[in-house]
Amino acid sequence: MRDEIIAILLKVCNELNEQLKNKIEIGKGEQAPLFGKQGVLDSLGLVNLIVSAESEVEDKFGKSLMLTDGTSLPEANSPFRTIGSLAYYITDLLEDEKQ
Amino acid sequence: MQNKKEFSGIFISNFNLQNFTNYIDNDVGFPLIETELAPFGQVTNILLGAKNETKHDFGFIWTQPHAGFESFSKLMNGQMVSLSTILEEVDVFAEAVKKYSSFVKYLFIASWVLPAYYKGMGLLDLRNDYGISNCLMRMNLHLADRFSDKNNIFLLNSQKWIESAGEEAFSSKLWYLSKTPFVNVVFKEAMKDLKSALKTVTGNSKKLIILDLDDTLWGGIVGEVGWENLKLGGHDFAGESFVEFQTALKALKNRGILLAIVSKNEEVTALEAITKHPEMILKKEDFIAWEINWDDKSKNILNLLRKVNLGAQSVVFIDDNPVERARVRESIPDIFVPEWPKDSMHYVKTLHQLNCFDIAARTDEDLNRTELYQAESERSKLRSSLNSIDDWLVSLKTVVTIEKLSKANIQRAAQLLNKTNQMNLTTRRLSEAELSLWAKQEEHELWTFRVSDKFSDSGLTGIISIHIKDDTAQIVDFLLSCRVMGRKIEETMVRIVLQFCISKGITKLIAEYVPTNKNKPCFDFWKHKSGFIFNEEQNSFLWDFSNVFPDIPQIEIINNA
Repeated sequence: MRDEIIAILLKVCNELNEQLKNKIEIGKGEQAPLFGKQGVLDSLGLVNLIVSAESEVEDKFGKSLMLTDGTSLPEANSPFRTIGSLAYYITDLLEDEKQ
Repeated sequence: MQNKKEFSGIFISNFNLQNFTNYIDNDVGFPLIETELAPFGQVTNILLGAKNETKHDFGFIWTQPHAGFESFSKLMNGQMVSLSTILEEVDVFAEAVKKYSSFVKYLFIASWVLPAYYKGMGLLDLRNDYGISNCLMRMNLHLADRFSDKNNIFLLNSQKWIESAGEEAFSSKLWYLSKTPFVNVVFKEAMKDLKSALKTVTGNSKKLIILDLDDTLWGGIVGEVGWENLKLGGHDFAGESFVEFQTALKALKNRGILLAIVSKNEEVTALEAITKHPEMILKKEDFIAWEINWDDKSKNILNLLRKVNLGAQSVVFIDDNPVERARVRESIPDIFVPEWPKDSMHYVKTLHQLNCFDIAARTDEDLNRTELYQAESERSKLRSSLNSIDDWLVSLKTVVTIEKLSKANIQRAAQLLNKTNQMNLTTRRLSEAELSLWAKQEEHELWTFRVSDKFSDSGLTGIISIHIKDDTAQIVDFLLSCRVMGRKIEETMVRIVLQFCISKGITKLIAEYVPTNKNKPCFDFWKHKSGFIFNEEQNSFLWDFSNVFPDIPQIEIINNA
């Protein structure tokens, strides 16, 4: 499942790069920084990432996903640091739902 | 290195347009746009608070109707509000937009839409008295009516952008998290339309479609199966698709886009098919020219362009054969050769998606363009039958009518100013309002030239203008449509300006040439035929007033200026 999620995130980041001046370094794969100290996303970029990732994951797995808790946007040390950390986070959320 | 941006635009909205401007900032397609995002939610303040120093080429206004109009919001909330009250609010908005339009060259307004999931009054939503969709349609139409007298305001159909994203065009989540109502597909489509609009208003739309024949205009190889057996019309899905494609091309032709043929065939066989096949929508007279033979298509295209006096940058070449497309692309880089589907049932859609045939205004010249080019073809035939160019020019019985800029001709003059490339000394681009303002200034003089001959009336095809300071005049604009180039109209224009200068005691007349990659024909005229002295260092031309500009007996002049 995690590989499929990585593939989804790479696709989402690739699309997101079309509107970013500083691009997400997709070539770094899982290590590509997203949000936080090393990341290239500002708050709107992060919102775009969240909405697109949720939509793509839902299309792929048929499960509704909520990457924000509804109160505030994630902090810098959140699962949104890199593509890899976000993939772990999404995998956990989907697996929690299974149980 | 940062590329120079061709336009600067300000984006005004009552929602967050950052995603939209981010796409524009990062898009490398022509034209490059420098964006400024106005703070959202301040639409009226920005429109009414604009000052003369606003330096943007264009403005782009995109608002949500329920956020911008209190009365419409009430209607959506189930309150009874009269249509007239809502339209009064639209009037206030329209007035603010009109006021703002004098500070920019062009102003684009996105039409109003509501989310597809919003059901309004359901079954009653299109009712005249309280249907919400009905009301929104009327608001959009009312807005369009209010702008009908403004030639630099363009209402863009945002429904198309929404449809391209399908059911998911509106994102509640993006809205709540960032006040962005639309997903990014919508913004990408909007960007395409905006860029297409900017290309159109600056004269970069395509003017001519060159078409292949076999498996492009009809199904099958006419040389092999004969015209009677071509797939065209009839009770056949492929045949129907070719008829629909021809119908779409004819519609473009009726809007002023020129059509021509370049095909590898026997000319007699191909023309017989065009003339005799009962289901041909396009007739022989719909084409301004054709090159039908077995030569290389690139060579034929260049021959054809020479005949019709158009540059490759104005042309789209449509051919079903990928090898021919690649060959033409490689040998004529300026020509637009779109990828073309294998299946003829996708032809119409692909043609519409090219998005390069828009016009900024519709003039008589646009509507009669094919006839004007056909007349040019008659002129060329006459030219080759006569011994000298002078004999030919005399036989044309050309009449040039000179007029000052007026309400009657400003629209066409601005259009000509913004689209003429080849015979254009400075390639200055101005909106209608800017041109009008410029011409009204005391130190400026501008003349327009209408050209007709025994074959056709080419309409307003030339402009010359000067800036005068003391006893010196400088030519600011010198431009002539390629349709009438090389018929002594250029010389006539220069002569008129010289006569004016002499009558006003002007002792120095300069023409400064601003080179572009398209206006060498203009340089050639000034260097070899104008009689002016060329200053290579300054790239300028100077008239020696001790000389006398020769008469042009081949041209009859009617001076109404």
